Amino acid sequence: MPLKLILQLSARNLFRYPRRNGLLLLAIAFALAGATFTNALMRGWQYDMLDRAVENLVGHVKVQTEEYRDDPNMLHSFALPQGYQPEISGVAIAGWAPRINVPAVLLSERESRGVQLVGIDPQREDISFYADLNIVGENLSGTADGRIVLGQELARQLQTSVGRKVVVLAQGADGKNRERGFRVAGLFDAQAESLEKAVAFTGLATAQAYLGGSPQAGSEGLVTEISVLLADEPQRLEAVDSLGSEFPDKLVADWRTLQPQAAEMFALADMGIYIIFLFMMGGLAFGLVNTLIAAVMERVRELGMLRAIGMPRRVVLMQVVVESMLIMIVGIVLGLAAGILSVAALADGIDLSAFAEGIDAFGMSALLIPVLSTKDLVMFSSLSLLLGLVASIFPALRAVRITPLMAMNR
Amino acid sequence: MSENQNQTPVVRCRDVSRTYQKDAIPVHALRSVDLDVHAGEFVSLAGPSGSGKSTLLNIIGGLDEFDGGSVQVDGVELDGLSPAALSALRLEKIGFVFQAYNLLPVLTAQENVEFILQLQGIDKQQRRERAAQALDNLGLGELGERRPGELSGGQQQRVAIARAIVTRPVLLVADEPTANLDSATTEELLVLMARLNSEQGMTIVTATHDPMVMSHAERQVHLSDGRIDRDG
Ligand SMILES: Nc1ncnc2c1ncn2[C@@H]1O[C@H](COP(=O)(O)OP(=O)(O)OP(=O)(O)O)[C@@H](O)[C@H]1O
Ligand SMILES: [Mg+2]
Repeated sequence: MPLKLILQLSARNLFRYPRRNGLLLLAIAFALAGATFTNALMRGWQYDMLDRAVENLVGHVKVQTEEYRDDPNMLHSFALPQGYQPEISGVAIAGWAPRINVPAVLLSERESRGVQLVGIDPQREDISFYADLNIVGENLSGTADGRIVLGQELARQLQTSVGRKVVVLAQGADGKNRERGFRVAGLFDAQAESLEKAVAFTGLATAQAYLGGSPQAGSEGLVTEISVLLADEPQRLEAVDSLGSEFPDKLVADWRTLQPQAAEMFALADMGIYIIFLFMMGGLAFGLVNTLIAAVMERVRELGMLRAIGMPRRVVLMQVVVESMLIMIVGIVLGLAAGILSVAALADGIDLSAFAEGIDAFGMSALLIPVLSTKDLVMFSSLSLLLGLVASIFPALRAVRITPLMAMNR
Repeated sequence: MSENQNQTPVVRCRDVSRTYQKDAIPVHALRSVDLDVHAGEFVSLAGPSGSGKSTLLNIIGGLDEFDGGSVQVDGVELDGLSPAALSALRLEKIGFVFQAYNLLPVLTAQENVEFILQLQGIDKQQRRERAAQALDNLGLGELGERRPGELSGGQQQRVAIARAIVTRPVLLVADEPTANLDSATTEELLVLMARLNSEQGMTIVTATHDPMVMSHAERQVHLSDGRIDRDG
């Protein structure tokens, strides 16, 4: 098969009908640029959603007791084994954190508010939104830090500030209510006000001492959850399996199970991306088939002559196929370039704060940062190439039906 | 050509017939034609319009089917050859010059001559040399870089001849190669073909109405109503 000749002929034929091929090329490039761009927006939204769901202390996989799910308090905590380290063969772990997460009431001199009191090891919280928080005042210094970090909005409502004291009321592991004073170490600023109102952080060891009593032998004390962040989100099910056999009497679940709403949105976004792309491609397929058929019909004499002097049918066939693929490849390159450039131009994010109230319902941040997914771009490109191939089949079959005599009898 | 009479003829037709169906009415384009063309001959098929010249030429060139008799080209029987085998035979053994649309408009003259060698799988170096030589041979040495649109009708036909002979075929088939040319250009082209025939021994079969073409051919075969009624 003289591939070089086929490529040469196909490439030159592209320039033969500059208007028609130019328009088609523009349409392909436009479709791919559009797909790339909308895809980046949707992925941006999706990842933002994922991040928020996961960072809201969920992680990719969580270990809790069954009872805690229905009634999240210290009664349903469990002992963290001494020296525990999650290890899952074949799954890379980005980080993990043990926590106590219980409802509590915060009292200042003037006000009281219900919150989630979260005991953390601040060094381990690089897996959650905690690490990204802007803290005015001081951060927790470690797991034994006896102070508390509040959201700014909560502090405003409690009319308290850094350095002042608040009292925390919560149920202990024995079921009895306990009370302890905490000095406010710092105030955090989260973009979402709801988060600022909902959580207060203290050191894990402090929380254990406060709510759990003295640790049993061979244990690092009581926790209500172990949260694990994986290097690759898709490996979450393997992680669930592995942790499930490690903690047979516990409830081990991935974020999609724990946050079904977010998971549904995530899947919806996935589908939306494919649907948009398929619609664009469907329209292109028509244009491509028509253009190729026109190109074949305009060249009947020429193709007949080529058959007459001895060009094999498969070479004629390949010529049409390669022509189609070439148009596609050029269109893909132009389209991806345009799409990637437009995404790059908006790399700092699109400020949606003007619609802040509306988008909150969609679980979005005020800043939408488009995300280019190489995997998606590869999929778009290969599907487009496949389309180029499929679209060329019918015109190519027409081309090989041209006989030398057809060329001469015209 | 008496010195060639005992060799295998380049073309050997025996009892060849071709009947077309036109609106369910049979048209007898060829009726029991016998024809031998020997190596080095320059044969011109003559005869009125519709007498079967193109039909005979197409059958000899492996472009059309025939429904009776036997046709051999260079000793190969065409009857029963698969389309792919016929295509290969055309590529390897026969050079074609048509009335028009001989050249690919997207290729230069040089490339138009070269690509048929590419189909034959000949390497680049050789292709270059042979194509350049063929063009030179036809007085087109300077015009290799031009595309067909930048050449006159006569020059285009000369490129077509260069393309037809560059493969060193056993037979050159030319159906009305001068039909679109004026008389001066026709004369030029005929002189070239006659020279190819006399100097390089190229076997040529052509069909024409043109008396000028006939005068250049050493052997005239006259067809009438699908039969050969005069030869020589
Ligand atoms: N594909 C075809 N279908 C039907 N009839 C055909 C076909 N090709 C040729 N014929 C008929 O066969 C006869 C011979 O045609 P042919 O083209 O061989 O004549 P010709 O001698 O080349 O004529 P011209 O000098 O006009 O080129 C004519 O009657 C023509 O109409
Ligand atoms: Mg004719």
